[in-house]
Amino acid sequence: MNNATTRPGHFGPAAGHAPAPAIALANLSKTYPGDVRALDDVSLTVEHGTFLAVMGPSGSGKSTLMHCAAGLDSPTSGSIRIDGHEIAGLNETRRTELRRERIGFVFQAYNLIPSLSIEDNITLPLRLAGGRPDRDWVSTLVERVGLTGRLDHRPAELSGGQQQRAAVVRALAARPAVVFADEPTGALDLHSAHQVLDLLRDLVDELRQTVVMVTHDPAAAARAHRALVMADGRVVEALDAPTAPQLADRLVALGER
Amino acid sequence: MLHLALRMAAHRITALLAVACAVLGGALMITATGVLAESGLRSQLPPGRLAGADVVVAADQEYHPDADLPIALPERAPVPAGLVDRLAGLPGVTDAVGDIGFPVALVDARGRVVPVANDDPRTAGHGWSSTKLLDGPRVDGREPSGSREVAVDAATAAAAGIGTGDRVEVVAGGRPAAAYRVSAVVDAPDAGVYFADATAVRLSGPEGPEGRDRPESRDRTDGAASRAGTVDLIGLRTEPGTEDRVASAVREQVEGTGLKVLTGAERGEAVAPGVGSSRSLLVLLAGSLGGIVLLITGFVTAGALGVAVAGQRRDLALMRAVGATPKQIRRLAAAQSMVVAAVAVVPGVALGYLLAGQFRGQLADRGILPAELPLTVSPLPALATLLLMAAAVQVSARSAAWRTSRMPATEAVAESRSEPREPSRIRTRTGLLLIVAATALSAAPLLSRTVLGASTTSIAGIVAAIGLALAGPALVKGAGEAAVRRLRPDTPAPTWLALANVRAYALRISGVVSPLAMAVVFVLTYTLTQTTVLAATADDTRTGTLAQHQVSAPGLGGLPSGTLSAVRDVPGVRAAAPVGTTTVVWPYQLFGETETEESSAMILTPAAADVLDLGVRDGDPARLTGATVAVSSEVARSRGAETGQRVRLVLGDGAQVDARVVAVYDRGLGFGPVVLSHDLAKGHTTTDLDQSVLVRTDGTAAAERALTELTAARPGLLLEDTASDSDTASDSGTGGTDTPPEVWINLAVIVVLLGYLLLSIANKLVAATAQRRAEIAALRLVGTTPRQIRVMMRREAAVIAAAALTTGLLLSAVPLALLGQGFLGRPWPQGPAWLLPAIAVTVVVTAFLTIDLPTRQALRTPPADALRAP
Repeated sequence: MNNATTRPGHFGPAAGHAPAPAIALANLSKTYPGDVRALDDVSLTVEHGTFLAVMGPSGSGKSTLMHCAAGLDSPTSGSIRIDGHEIAGLNETRRTELRRERIGFVFQAYNLIPSLSIEDNITLPLRLAGGRPDRDWVSTLVERVGLTGRLDHRPAELSGGQQQRAAVVRALAARPAVVFADEPTGALDLHSAHQVLDLLRDLVDELRQTVVMVTHDPAAAARAHRALVMADGRVVEALDAPTAPQLADRLVALGER
Repeated sequence: MLHLALRMAAHRITALLAVACAVLGGALMITATGVLAESGLRSQLPPGRLAGADVVVAADQEYHPDADLPIALPERAPVPAGLVDRLAGLPGVTDAVGDIGFPVALVDARGRVVPVANDDPRTAGHGWSSTKLLDGPRVDGREPSGSREVAVDAATAAAAGIGTGDRVEVVAGGRPAAAYRVSAVVDAPDAGVYFADATAVRLSGPEGPEGRDRPESRDRTDGAASRAGTVDLIGLRTEPGTEDRVASAVREQVEGTGLKVLTGAERGEAVAPGVGSSRSLLVLLAGSLGGIVLLITGFVTAGALGVAVAGQRRDLALMRAVGATPKQIRRLAAAQSMVVAAVAVVPGVALGYLLAGQFRGQLADRGILPAELPLTVSPLPALATLLLMAAAVQVSARSAAWRTSRMPATEAVAESRSEPREPSRIRTRTGLLLIVAATALSAAPLLSRTVLGASTTSIAGIVAAIGLALAGPALVKGAGEAAVRRLRPDTPAPTWLALANVRAYALRISGVVSPLAMAVVFVLTYTLTQTTVLAATADDTRTGTLAQHQVSAPGLGGLPSGTLSAVRDVPGVRAAAPVGTTTVVWPYQLFGETETEESSAMILTPAAADVLDLGVRDGDPARLTGATVAVSSEVARSRGAETGQRVRLVLGDGAQVDARVVAVYDRGLGFGPVVLSHDLAKGHTTTDLDQSVLVRTDGTAAAERALTELTAARPGLLLEDTASDSDTASDSGTGGTDTPPEVWINLAVIVVLLGYLLLSIANKLVAATAQRRAEIAALRLVGTTPRQIRVMMRREAAVIAAAALTTGLLLSAVPLALLGQGFLGRPWPQGPAWLLPAIAVTVVVTAFLTIDLPTRQALRTPPADALRAP
């Protein structure tokens, strides 16, 4: 059960030579001091154009998995390849640079920089990479998420849903290989949560974006193509085209174990 | 509330450490200043050679202006000798001694002067009956008798290498050295040299058969005053246990005469009349320090609390959200700060007492204070410090929390993540107004070319810096916005981020820029004011002194009487004139109220015009005979004392005199505000001997050689060049101001206050940077590399250092230009060239170190951890 491999997505690899998968994790382990095993030998491949949900009870290791896969944290052992580039074992600076180029991240707490305007927040990772923002691409995204006219505002002047949508634009501005979303709807009301989830799903369907989302909300996970259920640092189950009741049952079962 | 405050405090260690340091340093300095002030008012010298007297009657050595602190009078005022017999007859009195003191020094076998141990050479000689006032002296030998015997105290005898029965040369009362036989060695502390009573009376008067012939009235103005029929003080010994009864009987006897009856610790006052003036120096010092110490302490404490409260704006906002009222929020902020302050104030006060002791020691080592003068240690300074610090902390904490506490709860939470977009308008306007007022204040040196006028320069600078602290956020924001607009699109991201932060965190940035700018302003204005006034004073003295040489006799207590004529007779000497200094108190009318000003005054004869050029503007200094004075143009203008006017002065021994102004001169900075005629001061100084003689020669080497021979031939005479010591004017007796101790004291003050300022700035920067962990983590999460973060922070440090230096320089520029114009006639001050680079390096190093180190610390946490623990 520790080798859950996603099927090729709805939009399979392009013809010709097979490109590297968006994410390839091999035998990933993470141990915290005191012999706490947050990740226990996890292997996982995510192809381009997939919307993957990772579920599990608190302490199941789902956040650690994502932090390691996104290069925010380093695993104790194992290999992480993003778009074919190994990031495990890189130093903080190299990892940050790779993350900036290949990975977008959407946080539960938005993590917009309060001192910068929405526009500056969106283009910040590009600036940090020393590149020029692709104006058309950014304005397409801004229009798509409905933030046109809000670009000069400070984050504190926007609603939570608007802030999270701005965070999604920021994550996509550099055309990353993968977007990770950590409980992206955790702090939002039902309506805003729907908007953000629709947005993520559309990105995958329309733009062939790869999205990995950690959540403990079965309804949110049901919007993904595929859902992994984690417990005690391992992937215990993989469900294709999951439904909310199905996922809820699994979680309840895990809770009773 | 206290419990809550404590729990919240535990999470804000760095910020609260800054508050603790600010409070500790402030408490230290306020306490030290307080101890100095209290000592100045209450400390007593040990009774010394009067220790054996139970009751001492002496003249009041203080002038008491209406509604102001008493002013010390340094010249000995006499007591009628007739009183001795009257007091001797009182019941309980076993001995009554009329004590006199006159200049005396021993000359050892090799012709060197041996000063009397631990005693002022001007008053070291006494009559034998004064030994009754000693506390249990051991006398080896017998009472001196006749006119050629002396008794010497043990320490002096040891220094001169003599014993009972030896012969020794003695210079007494300005007479030529004469041989005496040592009839006894008296072993008692600070005893002095004793003559037979009749000999003592003769020696204490002017040369001539008549001895002391001083009129008893203290209001004589005819210049013929001397001291017949008077004694310096009267000491009484009483039967055991009757001191109090005798003291009250004596008080009845002397009622209405203005004499003081002293018992116990007060007796120390009578030993030397100059003590009062060193005590009042302490009061003055504490007064001038007090203002600047309070200003800077308040500023630093408010700044540190501002950072601490800003660091927990989010906590406070959340508390508002869960139902705390605005008042509770302010109480919470104040309570928390009070807890920290309470912890820090205790060691601060304790160290303050130690610092005051150190300072006293340093002043005593430099001869500014008598070494025997103790500090008065009472809980009063500690109490005052506690009250002042508590008030400062309460006001600062409450105003720092004011904005957050008053906002609707939801807005407070939203705003707590960044800073308010618009700085408060009232705050900005108040700040700009202060800067304008400070600039106006700094024009004072143009109007008043005095030390007092110059002192407004540094006050103006500091007021301007406080104005900057208030107007800072708006200025920083404006500058940051202008800078961001001008940025080219290809600016490196860290620079762009740094400038964006300057714009968005104007409050935080200006919170560190303004104290740094204040440090720059403080050091520049304070130091350059000193050096500029010194330079101007030295310049006045140098150009005004025509004499090349000065003859004095510091070890003899005054020049022997034949010195002046001997010097005049030296071939090649064109002119010679006696010069002395004393103190005058000048009550004058200002806006309908009586102001009382104490100042030093030179004593000159009409001949002084040949050796000194005071820069006379009006009148003629050659008319300085009889009851006349000359005044500086500052004094003439401000006190309406132009030539021909009559003024009423109080001389150094308390005598009131009326004098006519015969000249007005311009070089008041170098020669002091008032010059007394020799005739006017005669009889009103402790010794009546000339203190020094200024000599103008034809400039030939032969003349100088002849002068050297003359002074070498007479023991105790000292020949100095006037040019070499032009900036230590007070030592040479030609200057009117006491510059060297002042410079030393100011230097010490600059060092202590600068240390305090820098420490608090460093603390504040460390705290402010540590509070940015969340911000740094967020930046890292969106892809900023640690290197980029460090570059960004260094750019911010550069902005902070540059802004502090620029504003500091700008704010000091106007006051210093006006100071230079007023004192040196050119729009820049005089001072060491290394000062500015040294300040720049200090500011830059402080900013970089205190920002870089906490940034590295913050970067050690992986960003994911920072995310987990907000």
